[in-house]
Amino acid sequence: MRRMILVRLALTLPILFGVSIAAFVLMRALPGDFAVAAAGTTSVSPEALAAIRANLGLDQPVWVQYLAWLQGAMTGDLGTSFVTKRPVVGEILPRLAVTAELTLIAATMALLMGAVTGLASARLRGSVDWVVRLYNGFVLAVPNFVVATLIVLLAGLYFPQIRLFNYVPFFTDPLENLTSLILPAFSLSLAVSVTISENTRAAVLEVAGQDYVMVARAKGLGPGKVLRSYLIRNALTPVITITGLQVATLLGGSILIETIFAIPGMGQYLYDSITSRDYPAIQAIVLVTAIIVILVNVAVDIAYARADARVEL
Amino acid sequence: MPSHDLNDDPASLDPSDPFGVSRRTLLRVALVGAAVGAMPSALFAAEDVKPGGTLVIGADADPIGLDPTTVTAYSSFDFTALLYSGLLRWTPDMSIEPDLATSYETPDETTYVFKLREGVTFHNGQPFSAEDVKYTFDRILDPAVGSRLAAYYSGVQSVTVIDPLTVEFKLKAPDAAFLRYLATNPDGVIVPKGVDDLATNPVGTGPFKFESYEPNQQFTLTKFEDYYEEGLPILDKVVFRFFKDQSSLTSALRSKAIDMTWLKNPRVAALIARTSPDLVSAPGQTSRTFPVWLNLKAEPLNDVRVRQALSLATDRTAVLETVLGGAGKVGAMLPESQIGGYDGVSALPNYGHDVAAAKALLAEAGYPDGIDLGDYIVVAANELDVAASQILQQQWAEAGITVALKPMETAPLLDMWVKGTFPTLLSVALSWSPDPDAILQRMSSQSDFGANLGMDDAELDQMIAAARTTLDPDERAALHQKIQARIAENAYVLQIYQYPLRWEIWWDYVKGYEPLAANIRSYVRTTSVDK
Repeated sequence: MRRMILVRLALTLPILFGVSIAAFVLMRALPGDFAVAAAGTTSVSPEALAAIRANLGLDQPVWVQYLAWLQGAMTGDLGTSFVTKRPVVGEILPRLAVTAELTLIAATMALLMGAVTGLASARLRGSVDWVVRLYNGFVLAVPNFVVATLIVLLAGLYFPQIRLFNYVPFFTDPLENLTSLILPAFSLSLAVSVTISENTRAAVLEVAGQDYVMVARAKGLGPGKVLRSYLIRNALTPVITITGLQVATLLGGSILIETIFAIPGMGQYLYDSITSRDYPAIQAIVLVTAIIVILVNVAVDIAYARADARVEL
Repeated sequence: MPSHDLNDDPASLDPSDPFGVSRRTLLRVALVGAAVGAMPSALFAAEDVKPGGTLVIGADADPIGLDPTTVTAYSSFDFTALLYSGLLRWTPDMSIEPDLATSYETPDETTYVFKLREGVTFHNGQPFSAEDVKYTFDRILDPAVGSRLAAYYSGVQSVTVIDPLTVEFKLKAPDAAFLRYLATNPDGVIVPKGVDDLATNPVGTGPFKFESYEPNQQFTLTKFEDYYEEGLPILDKVVFRFFKDQSSLTSALRSKAIDMTWLKNPRVAALIARTSPDLVSAPGQTSRTFPVWLNLKAEPLNDVRVRQALSLATDRTAVLETVLGGAGKVGAMLPESQIGGYDGVSALPNYGHDVAAAKALLAEAGYPDGIDLGDYIVVAANELDVAASQILQQQWAEAGITVALKPMETAPLLDMWVKGTFPTLLSVALSWSPDPDAILQRMSSQSDFGANLGMDDAELDQMIAAARTTLDPDERAALHQKIQARIAENAYVLQIYQYPLRWEIWWDYVKGYEPLAANIRSYVRTTSVDK
C-alpha cells in the first residue's frame, strides 16, 4: 500500500507539468490581455499598451515566457501578480486556507445532509422517499450561484440585520469566522448533498438486498445492529468515493460563491484574475487546485481501502 | 457655489471665478487665495460637522496600480483621487479651481506660468515644490515609462522651474484641453521627486494617505494630518470594501456593511433607494454615451446609405425609455457635461425614427429585400448594454435589417474594439473624458482608433484638430456641435443614449459629500459621518 501511494504521488508530477502547460497556453490563447483589460475604455495609446506588455515580458514568445515561469516555479517562485505587483505565492496561501475551510465546512454539511436524507429515503421508503427525491430533483436543478444570489438579495431586502459580508479571519475570531461562512457553505453544499443523498440511497438499497443482510436478520440481529454493522459500513464505500470526487465540484463552485459573498478565498481570486488576465495568478491557482484534486483522489483511495477490506492498494 | 451649468468651461464662468478671466490676464493671487480659503468653511457652515469617524465605501473593482503616471484602469482612480492632488481640480459643477497652484498667468497662448501653494508637503514629509511638478511631467513624457498620459500631454514642449514656487509650461500650439487634463485626477496629479514604487506605496499630497491594502477585501486610507486645506479632511479613515457582484453590493448597502457605493443600473438604484427614506441617491451629470460602433472598412457599412438607414431605423427615445426608465437623454458623440455636448433634444441628421425612409435607403443601396449585418457584439457583463442591444435588434428588424446578438467577455471585446477587428457592429459605452477632444479623436482618421475603425474624412479630421486649438469656450462649443452633426449626417457611429456613469447612493448619515461627473470621489475630503 505504501508503495502504491508513492507511485501515485510520483505520477502527479507529469500531470502537474501537463496542467501548467495547458493553463499557460490556454490563457494566452484567450483574446484580450492584461494591458487591454486594465485599460478598459480609457484611451490608452498603442505605445503605452506596448510599454506595459514589455514591462511584464508579454512581448516575448510564449515558450520563452513559459520557460521563464517554469524556472521560477521549480524554485517555488510562482511569479508576481500583474495587478498587485506582489509575489503570487504570498497572495495565494492565505486565500487557500480560506477556501480550504469553506470547502471543508461545505463538505461536512453536504455529507450530513446527504447521508441523513439518503438513509431516511432508503430505510423509510414510502412518502419520505418521495419527498426526499422530489426535493433532490429540485435542488439539483438550481445552480449554487442562484441559491447564493437569492440568499444575498432576500437577506439584503428583508433581513438587513443579518451581517452577510462580515468575513473575519479565523485567528481573529474563530466563532465569528464560522458564522460568516455558514450561509456561503450552505449554498455551496446543496447540490453536492443531493449527489451524496442519491448515492447513499442507492447504496443502502443495494446492500439491503444482499444475502448477508438477510442472514443477519434471520439470525435475529436487531434492526439497529443490522443498520450499523451491515448496511452503513457496506454502503459507505461508494459514498466516500462520491464525496471525494465532489471536492473538485466544491472547489469549482467556490469561484462564484466566494465572489458573491465577498469571501477572500482562492475562488474569488481566480474569478478576478481571469477577468483582469493576471496570468501569473491564474497559473498559480490552477496549479494549486490541480494538486489538491490529485491529493484528494489519493486520499479517497486510501479511505476506500480502509472501509472495504476487499480493496487492496 | 457657482451657478450650475452643464456646458461650462474653466474660462467661461462668472468674473468672480479666479480662473474665469480671459487669457493673457495676470491673476490676482489674493483673490484666488480668498476663494480657496472660503470653500471649505462654506461647506462647514452648511451643517454641524462631527470630526473623525470612518467612512466605508463599497467598490466593485480593485485598483490596478496606484502610480498616477502609469495607471490605466478606471478602478484605480477612486484611490488616486484621495491620495494625490494636482495643480488644479474640478468642482462639483465641473468648473476648474486651483489646488496645488494658487494662480496662473498666460503671457501668450502657449505659455502657462503657475504660482504654487506654499507649505504643502507630501505624505512622506517631503516639501512640495516646482521640482516635483517638473519631475512629474518629465516622467510622463519619458517614452521609457510608457505612460498613457504622454498622448494627452504630447503638446507640452517643456516644463521649466523658475523658482521653487513657480513653474512654466510651454506648449507647442494652443491647446484647449491642457488645463482640463491638469484638473483631472489622476491625469494631472503631482508625484514626489525621487520616490520609487508608487504603484504599491503611493505618496501624494492628497487629503488621505495610504494605510493598507488587502486585495479583493479592503483598502484603507487614513487622514493626512498635514493636508493643506484648513480643517480637512474631516474623516479619520476611509475604507473601501470590494464586492465584485452587484447584488452583493446592494445587500451590503442595505445592511450598512458599507455607507456608500455606486451602482451601474439606474433601475436597481431606484429600487434600492425606495427601500428606505434614509438613502440618498444622486445621479451625476450625464457623462457617458452608449454607441454602436460600425466597421467602416468593409461592405456593407462602408456605404453611407446603409449606415443612414440603420440610424433612421433606430428609435433612440424608445431605447432610452426602456433601458434607463427615462434616467438619461438621447445621445450624440459628446455627452451633455462636455463643452458643446449634445442636449438630447436638438435636431441631428438621421435622428428621426423613419422606417420607410430607412427601407428606401436600403433599396437604393442595393438591398431591396433587407440586409443581414451579421454579428452585433456587446459587453455581456453590462446588463444595460445587453438590454439596449436587444431592443435595437427588434427595431432594426422592422426595417429589414437583421443582426445576431453576440454578448462577449469584456477583455476580448475591448481588444477587437481597439484594433477595429470586429466584423460589423460592436457596442461598448464611452466613459467620461477630461476633455471632449479625447472622444472626438476616436472619429479622426489621424488617430489609431479612427484609422482602425476605417474613418476617412479629411474635413472632419480638420474640424476636430481645429476645435482642440480653439481656446474660447463658446467658439469651441459651436465647433463641437458642427462636428457632431457631421458625424450624425454620415452615421460614422450610432450614438443611442447618454447617462451618468455612476448612480451614487449613500445613507443620509453621510454628510457633506458631492458626487462628481469626473469618475472620482474627490469630495470624500469634505465628508463627515454621523451615525
